[in-house]
Amino acid sequence: MLLATLLATSLVGAIAVTPPDSTLPAAMDYLVYVASESADRVTLVRFGPGGGRVEREVPVGMNLTDPDGPHGLGVSPDGRHWYVSTAHGSPYGFLYKYDTRTNTNAGLVMLGHFPASLQLSPDGEFAYVVNFNLHGDMVPSSVSVVATGEMVEVARIETCTMPHGSRLTTDGARHYSTCMMDDMLVEIDTRTFEVSRHFRLTRGAEQGMRGAPSAARGEHAAHGTGGHDAAAPGAGDTACSPTWAVPSPDGERVWVACNKSSEIVEIATRDWSLVRRWAAGPGVYNLGVTHDGRRIIATNKRGQSVSIYDTASGAELARIPTRRKVVHGVAVSTDDRYAFVSVEGIGSEPGTVEVIDLRALASVAQVDVGQQAGGIDFLRSEPVR
Amino acid sequence: MIFLSALALALVQQPAAAQAATAAASPIQKVVVTPARPRVTAGDTLRLSAQALDGAGQPVPGASIRFVPAGGYFEGRVDADGLVRSGSTGTLPVTVVALVPGTRPVTERVEVQMVAGPAVRVAVQPAATKLVAGQRLRLDARAYSAAGDERDDRYTWTSSAPGVVRVSATGVVEALAAGKATVTAASGSARGTTAVEVVAGPVARLTLTPSAMDARTGDVIRFKAAATNGAGQPIAGLTPTFSFSPGNGQIDADGVFVGYEPGEYVVTASLGTRSASAVVTLTERDVRRRINVVGRLPRTRFTTEEVWIHPNGTVAYLGSGSGGDVMYAIDISDPSNPVVTDSIVANTRRVNDVMSTPDGKFLVFTREGAADRKNGIVIASLEDPLHPKPIAEFTDGVTAGVHSAFVYQQDKFGTHVYLTNDGTGAFHIIDITDPYHPKQTAEWRTARPDAGRSLHDVDIRNGLAYLSYWNDGLVILDVGNGVKGGSPSNPQLVSQFKYDLNALYKDVERDGGPGFIRGTHTAWRHKDYVIIADEVFPSSAVTGAKDASAFRAYGRLQVVDVSDVANPKSVAWYEPEFGGVHNVWVAGDTLYMGAYNAGFRAFDISGELRGDLRAQKREIAHLNTADMQGHSQNSAMTWGVVVNPKDGLAYVNDMNNGLWIVRLEPRTEEVIP
Repeated sequence: MLLATLLATSLVGAIAVTPPDSTLPAAMDYLVYVASESADRVTLVRFGPGGGRVEREVPVGMNLTDPDGPHGLGVSPDGRHWYVSTAHGSPYGFLYKYDTRTNTNAGLVMLGHFPASLQLSPDGEFAYVVNFNLHGDMVPSSVSVVATGEMVEVARIETCTMPHGSRLTTDGARHYSTCMMDDMLVEIDTRTFEVSRHFRLTRGAEQGMRGAPSAARGEHAAHGTGGHDAAAPGAGDTACSPTWAVPSPDGERVWVACNKSSEIVEIATRDWSLVRRWAAGPGVYNLGVTHDGRRIIATNKRGQSVSIYDTASGAELARIPTRRKVVHGVAVSTDDRYAFVSVEGIGSEPGTVEVIDLRALASVAQVDVGQQAGGIDFLRSEPVR
Repeated sequence: MIFLSALALALVQQPAAAQAATAAASPIQKVVVTPARPRVTAGDTLRLSAQALDGAGQPVPGASIRFVPAGGYFEGRVDADGLVRSGSTGTLPVTVVALVPGTRPVTERVEVQMVAGPAVRVAVQPAATKLVAGQRLRLDARAYSAAGDERDDRYTWTSSAPGVVRVSATGVVEALAAGKATVTAASGSARGTTAVEVVAGPVARLTLTPSAMDARTGDVIRFKAAATNGAGQPIAGLTPTFSFSPGNGQIDADGVFVGYEPGEYVVTASLGTRSASAVVTLTERDVRRRINVVGRLPRTRFTTEEVWIHPNGTVAYLGSGSGGDVMYAIDISDPSNPVVTDSIVANTRRVNDVMSTPDGKFLVFTREGAADRKNGIVIASLEDPLHPKPIAEFTDGVTAGVHSAFVYQQDKFGTHVYLTNDGTGAFHIIDITDPYHPKQTAEWRTARPDAGRSLHDVDIRNGLAYLSYWNDGLVILDVGNGVKGGSPSNPQLVSQFKYDLNALYKDVERDGGPGFIRGTHTAWRHKDYVIIADEVFPSSAVTGAKDASAFRAYGRLQVVDVSDVANPKSVAWYEPEFGGVHNVWVAGDTLYMGAYNAGFRAFDISGELRGDLRAQKREIAHLNTADMQGHSQNSAMTWGVVVNPKDGLAYVNDMNNGLWIVRLEPRTEEVIP
């Protein structure tokens, strides 16, 4: 049991409560977990007809005085556990496992340098965590695979420089992650835990290739990435600097967020070819897809907004401003009714969970959480409390 | 281009059809690891192998085996193929994962014992002795491996001249007759010797003279034994055996004594049948002083981090943490009424360290958790010290964050910031001679692999940098002193004082389990000493405890003698009964300390330091810096202290409770009419 566990039981309260909204459905509450990197805290947010509120706060990490930096977050498909990666380490980070009923720690495992985005396999047996390696030398990093029952890292798959933004196909057969410094998308065969294909994303040089990328040392390292990325590209810069990849529910497409060029790239998985790339919001960062595959929800890191796209046409259906800046992650409710968006904020501002009504295409609630809200995942919906 | 070879490949097709979503049960029933009880010499490698077997004990075709570390991250490594690289002595738990694609993994755990290598050196103490016939003396032997790891060996003792010196199986020598002998302690093929000279006895007279008859607890007293023969001639260089009774203290083989409790101590030196005693009387150290709070500046919005005093003594600067993005400027010209006059709000979520240039014209503060993830440091102009203005920042290569920064000026080299890199554990030196255009001049890091390399704090005096290097202990670099030809652009290693943190804090592991936080955290050069303090937190709190007050820090402060800077050695220590040892400050002969849960403490460190400082009752004062209106209610978490040379007051920063300005009141002697 960690310090976090000790404190977990006592921290319950509401930081900010949004008023009831008459457009909300009458009978359901929605619960999401969100990690706050600068507050060493994971927050359970409840949203429903009564508005949004903080349901519970769980301190995470083991160092009382230095930040552990919870970054990525994932809920097991059966809803029994949630997992959070702590990025800061000394220097390696950890993956923690928590029980969703008690919010107590159920295990941890040390991973690589700056473990970031994560997702559980559909059977919940494995957690896939990218070792982003934000702060070390520009060397190829990896995707860790953790057996969640034993909390043992069963594979560490080298991919490329600064792997980020990863998601599995619905059937769990393939895992996609991006390489910010190498302008690549990487596909892992989850049966063999090996890289099966990779795809070059640089505008005008798109190319799908078999096997793992050759060992590269961040040839695009000169591109600013400190803010993933806070700065707009210079003239003639064709780099994508991908920050997120998400497959379509049917597995036929992968959409990639090009944070540098503010585009979304669509790739056909069957023949591993470029389908199209379309202009997205400024600094498009993370992507979420509705379970019916019809909508993409994209956070615009440089734009203080969230964009909703029609996947069939690539058309931007709405661009919804957020209350605060540095828009981060997306989780979509299982009924595709709402998107929950984490917003980091700047400095001492609290982080925020913005609730986007995917029918009204509007933000319907904002709930303040700990600073630098990042990793977010949907837990469940339930009858209103 | 890195993709040239790949471009030759044809476009590839969709991979095999998707598998079922749920992993099936594994056909593997057992994983057999070889060797079953792995053992490797520290610094060496060992190849582990494993076999996945089915229920019939037959190898499972297609099973992959992978070895992953399950602890011991700072002591060794194992790669996926089972090659163990032992970095030090200790235990390396390894999980062996056997996997048939598409099924659940099967794991087996082994513990690799990493032991000291064969003895290559035996050190015998004392290195040379002169005994008088009839005298007995126990020798001490320690065996070391080629890597310098101490071994727990039994020794074979021999004497080159048994008629002169007889040595027992436990290393007790007995001087039999005048002459010379070499006594050898052997461990395997390694040998250590000491030369023993025996002079004819008997000793007619032995006297023992202390350097002081009366002293206080904690004062170091040196005892000198003098022997004469029957002719009244002195017998020089004899090696007496020292002991004392009653009382609590310590006496070293060289006759250096320190007592912990008041009272009379009878110290005895023995030379065979002749012995001499001297009585010394220790009184209470009696250093307690009243402490009063002169002023308060509570901070509750964020936790409070480092405090710094401007050289003019009238302005304090205060950092913030736990999401804090502000550094305050505080008017302390009236210490009873500190007033925030201005602040700098920066793109950060922690201002952990603050320090001005010696001339007070500029200030540097650190950033961690910046929204743009660039972190690094901010440089501010103190043209008006009450209203600092940011003028520049430095982020190159330190985007992970900077925890500590030390500003140091040398006439020969200019002004530099010496800072710690959160991400790599490297030590960076930034030239701010032109503070508007900071530029890096050097980067240095220990040879340790990335895993476990962490640099926490920097102190620089007289061109020597004292780096608190966590797992690597205290590292001393020449950054301009010249002893090793170092400079700010070419730092050179002088020496290292490394100690076994796991052994030192094994009780913390027992309290809260493995994986606890511990490392060399801070250093302060004072006279011939470097005072180092460890940061130690258990990995878990007390089961069933209600709130954070049940969580505590631990830690030990050590006084390291660096009079021979190439060979630092620990001579004294302090370990609180409760709480930790965080940041320290020394002014005059007083050591000031932020002790985390144990509040603010001050200690008398006058004179020579030796032994257990707490037992000697050197503590001058204690203040519990808790506050019901604190960031955390009624919970002290004292961070550190700066003593203002202008007013002599201690400016104590508490993470939970802001700034305390306190005065150690002078001693008032009781007047008896």
